[in-house]
Amino acid sequence: MASDTKVIGEAISRIDGLLKVTGAANYGMDWPIRNVAYAFIVKSTIAAGTITDIDTAAAEKSPGVIAVITHKNATKVVAYDPMRGIGILQDNKINFYGQNVAVLVAETFEQARAAARSIKVSYQNADSKTDFEKCVAEAVRPANRNDAVRGDFDAAFNAAEHKVDATYSTPIEHHHPMEPHSAIAVWEGDNLTLYSATQVVGGVQRGVATAFGLKPEQVHIISPHVGGGFGSKGGAWTNVILAAMAAKVVNRPVKLAVTRQNMFNSVGLRQQNRQHLRVAATAEGKLSALGHDTTQFTTTTNEFAESCGILATMMYEVPNSRVGYKSAAMNVIAPTFQRGPGESTGSFALESAIDEMAYALKMDPVEFRIKNEPPKDLSNNKPWSSRATVECLKRGAEMIGWKNRKPEPRQNRNGDNLVGYGVASGSYPSRQSPTSTLLKLARKGDDVTASVELAASDIGTGAHTIIAQTAAETLGLPMSKVAVKIGDSALPPAAGSVGSIGAASFCNSVADACNQAKTELQAKTDRKWLIAPTVAQLMDAASLNEYQTRVDAKAPADAAKYSSHAFNANFSEVWVNELTGMVRVHRHVAVTGAGRIMNAKTARSQVIGGCVWGIGMALTEESIMDPRWGNFITRSFADYHIPANLDVGTIDVAFIPEEDQFVNKLGIKGIGEVGIVGVAAAIANAVFNATGKRVRDLPITPDKLL
Amino acid sequence: MAFEENDVALDADQQMTADEEALLDELGIFGESRRKFLGQLGGVGLGALVLQVLAEEKALAFSDSETAYVAPAVENPVTVSFTVNGAKKSLELDSRMTLLDALRERLGLTGSKKGCDHGQCGACTVIIDGRRVLACLTLTAQCEAKSVTTIEGIAKGTDLHAIQTAFIKHDAFQCGFCTPGQICSAVALMQEAKNGEASYLTANVRQKTGALQLSDDEIRERMSGNLCRCGAYPNIVAAIREAHTGKATDPMAISQMEVHDATV
Amino acid sequence: MRPFKFTQAADAGSAVQAVSFNAGAKFIAGGSNLLDLMKEGVENPTELVDITRLNLTQIKSAGGGVSIGALAKNTDTANHPLIRQDYPLLTQAILAGASAQIRNMATNGGNLLQRTRCSYFYDVAMQCNKREPGTGCAAIGGINRNHAIFGASDKCIAVNPSDMSVALAALDAVVKVRGADGKERSIPFTDFHRLPGDAPEKDNNLQHGELITSIELPKSNFASHSYYLKVRDRASYAFALVSVAAALELSGGKIKQARIAMGGVAHKPWRATEAEKVLIGKAATEENFKAAADAAMKSAKPLEYNKFKIELGKRAIVLALRRATGKA
Repeated sequence: MASDTKVIGEAISRIDGLLKVTGAANYGMDWPIRNVAYAFIVKSTIAAGTITDIDTAAAEKSPGVIAVITHKNATKVVAYDPMRGIGILQDNKINFYGQNVAVLVAETFEQARAAARSIKVSYQNADSKTDFEKCVAEAVRPANRNDAVRGDFDAAFNAAEHKVDATYSTPIEHHHPMEPHSAIAVWEGDNLTLYSATQVVGGVQRGVATAFGLKPEQVHIISPHVGGGFGSKGGAWTNVILAAMAAKVVNRPVKLAVTRQNMFNSVGLRQQNRQHLRVAATAEGKLSALGHDTTQFTTTTNEFAESCGILATMMYEVPNSRVGYKSAAMNVIAPTFQRGPGESTGSFALESAIDEMAYALKMDPVEFRIKNEPPKDLSNNKPWSSRATVECLKRGAEMIGWKNRKPEPRQNRNGDNLVGYGVASGSYPSRQSPTSTLLKLARKGDDVTASVELAASDIGTGAHTIIAQTAAETLGLPMSKVAVKIGDSALPPAAGSVGSIGAASFCNSVADACNQAKTELQAKTDRKWLIAPTVAQLMDAASLNEYQTRVDAKAPADAAKYSSHAFNANFSEVWVNELTGMVRVHRHVAVTGAGRIMNAKTARSQVIGGCVWGIGMALTEESIMDPRWGNFITRSFADYHIPANLDVGTIDVAFIPEEDQFVNKLGIKGIGEVGIVGVAAAIANAVFNATGKRVRDLPITPDKLL
Repeated sequence: MAFEENDVALDADQQMTADEEALLDELGIFGESRRKFLGQLGGVGLGALVLQVLAEEKALAFSDSETAYVAPAVENPVTVSFTVNGAKKSLELDSRMTLLDALRERLGLTGSKKGCDHGQCGACTVIIDGRRVLACLTLTAQCEAKSVTTIEGIAKGTDLHAIQTAFIKHDAFQCGFCTPGQICSAVALMQEAKNGEASYLTANVRQKTGALQLSDDEIRERMSGNLCRCGAYPNIVAAIREAHTGKATDPMAISQMEVHDATV
Repeated sequence: MRPFKFTQAADAGSAVQAVSFNAGAKFIAGGSNLLDLMKEGVENPTELVDITRLNLTQIKSAGGGVSIGALAKNTDTANHPLIRQDYPLLTQAILAGASAQIRNMATNGGNLLQRTRCSYFYDVAMQCNKREPGTGCAAIGGINRNHAIFGASDKCIAVNPSDMSVALAALDAVVKVRGADGKERSIPFTDFHRLPGDAPEKDNNLQHGELITSIELPKSNFASHSYYLKVRDRASYAFALVSVAAALELSGGKIKQARIAMGGVAHKPWRATEAEKVLIGKAATEENFKAAADAAMKSAKPLEYNKFKIELGKRAIVLALRRATGKA
């Protein structure tokens, strides 16, 4: 049976697939809770100021309405999170357009929604900061954010023979998981159950407990399936607090989902970035100076900075560099983590500038990158735990047919289309975070089943499946003997599905638990084995039919001695309609070195997803705020264009085999974030190769190519 | 069925625990159909998780949802009799209630998802009288005497539809939230192709056609009403292509380089 | 969405009566735009009269042309053999719009009555003369990238979102409507929709309670040389930045008749008659296409953020003509 249990790395279909293709998987709003009331949120229509009056009389009389909650009568809750927790109805202050000002609870959804329209709010406007162009003039270096300096950037840049000096812009983007944020809140005495999909089970639990002054164990989060997150479901946003508050007020279960329109100002965003890149190189193609200055905004109540410049500190061997940030406070919902936070937007600027430099030097952009490969991480002088950038570039070039690229723009045509090829490399750090696992074994004769329990989350990454694979292989059991329980705060605490730490944190912990069980079982018997025993044999020898053990796993101590990242290279072939300027990604290749790949099928899918996100970033996605009021005018899926099926051509994915002994025990680096890094740059570089037009402000919509 | 390789299946009765067997018994999946049920998923793809979660969710599901439901007073009640997944339903509801909300909140059929509630994402796609439509923009009041099929009615008993098995095999979803809509849409699309219906990408709409063999780009265009934020599109296309052509393909293969040259 | 009375209409006469006698009543057919707007609070009818069961779904030959029932679904219309064969431009235009699901729901009459996608119109917190006459137009001084370059007024700069209507404008269709008096009247397609002027709340020239019964397509000689081109920010399932319906009748190497209509540029489907005049009598050459495109865009008046539509419009006309004549 050994072959049945060698499952780590195999292309195994998701174990939750059956539930997902039959509609049986329960997301946040799908739980059949009886006697539920429906809540609807009312939003502010100013960006800064105070509420002077809220007239709720008509709403209260509206059919079916059970309660109208405003700052005047809201349950007192504690400020629990300066990023996610603005708008919990504790005072009359307004910090951004679309802040929560009231919650209605009614017998039906239709009644709640209708009554919400009858609430009249009067405001006193204050000066608001809603115009990015004006605000950036007042941007300052964020606290605790010193420039990352190496050598003498100014002297080297000024003295250089070949220079690129360009500014790149990326717009506000929204996460927009297909499942809008939601919660069903059920109180039983002082205990609260929240059916609410989240990337970080413990994070939501802690946030809600703090807000309501409860012990964490009094808050039970149930979240087995998460309809996408991408950073926005990283903690307790106000909608969860308001659902719990509403349920408390009306003393019955309450369902509250954020509308798609309100997803624009309820659960964070990726802020606008303006990145000034200065690159210098010798005629031979060695980089001599690299400057990366990012200007961005944050909200007035919280400092959040996407690290756009981080790749500039470590991707290339460049002796002189300076990377800095400026941020301006604006009256807008808090920026937060979004897929590839920093690296994805930063790589668009850096890898575009590197491409511009390669063109200026008349060098092949692939060769130019290889020529400037750093021997170690120059940002901290640590050795790489492993780095596959060069292999990724070489393999990707082969796969896309880089030899078909014509170095000069506008030389490659197909019908109405100009064809172009582009490349970009990228990386994202690898980490393992503390995660506990409870392993339960049960034996009937030779038959052992395992239950693996931890408060992990599966946001579509395949966590259910790789946890089962890890346990099956480590215990020597077939996967059908392994049950996986995750997405429940009553289980042992686990890392979140954030920052590409999920796979490394979950699987190392699960493997540790399985190995620990074997060790502990062995210690319970004097039996000596000629051949390594099965778990069934161990339990038999120890005369046990049931056994359980728990580990609290964390990163290996030596991991900090190395610089650990996943690395990738993206290659894009775009077709640009010469007349209309419509761009299509005809073919895209992503090659990644990410250590051990736990499941070839789900890993491939995740990288494809990163590529699609990159296509959105490059071509279609942009949230536009009207600077006069601070409202989003792109407040629907008809206005905010996430890529549709036809936007996405063929995507080919490959992984460079990599055995990293330093990053963590299983050698897992994580792939969710790195998958988007470099994609937009590869596409923009391909658009330049096709058209001769260098678009430095995303997205590349048709009007920018006329 | 394009799933020969999985016919190796596991010998279900030998490999399952007593609890799992009890559960399949409870679900009414016996003998040949039990073997098939498991076989369709590929032996190794079926963890005990599935069985366990199915059991928990089934236990929670309120099969008596309609009868137990006490409708709150509404101002403009309408009575609607229609068929949902083959079963006759009669509901008295608020004239404002969309089909999506009626399915989810009144009939306990939560497979259809509310992704935007404004006809801009496709997550609520259901099939009414053979045509794929959006449940969020359909008033239940307009459904009198109509026949509605939701994701819960796509499989025939324990026989998954070819689109469902192909979605699992080709990993045509990640988070799974858009998946019910994608699958309903794809199932209807196959019929549209059989009918020879045109799309914006059809080169010459004047040309008379019988059943169509759709190119990848045709599948992409015809599935563009179903957004997927995880970006599973290439796998969705591969899954539909496999079900549509009946030709099994390797889900892990590097592309076959089909020409991708939509005239847009 | 405020409460409304739901009325099932048994026949066209009673439907018209029901809506005519209630100023707050509206017809509902596919509902794909109306329900969207009701959920937003933009439309607030007190009564919906369901007309989907009326016998107005036929598509049939009539007087050398084709008569299309107002309640035929967009999908069925696009795929009807008479339309595919004789009016491929209409098939393409319908199929360029929305998604398969929405085309399965939307009716032809409803498609003509789609309201603008101006995001200030859609957001009830914003000023909008179309939604609430007299409140002002937030789009004029706002982000007006998607707005009109032809025929706008100082009250409204919104554009009509329908693709189908652009083809119907090019094909000189006629809209048949039935009023409260039971009489039918015919409205030439180019007079059906309005420019905003001082009354942007009126998208078209229907009276309250008038019901579209059919759309009449005159005999067409354009079937061999037509094309509907849609330029958009996303490859599919997006509204047009600019669209062009181009149709030519060629005879002896010369253009005998030309029709050019544009979408995404005005409050109504925009017939580019100046461009048509340039083409008539000329050869179907790139040079003449360009001259026509220049003529079409001559009277354009762009706003702060939509200047690109002039160049894009020209290019789209050239490309649509190329494709209509099989030159691309």
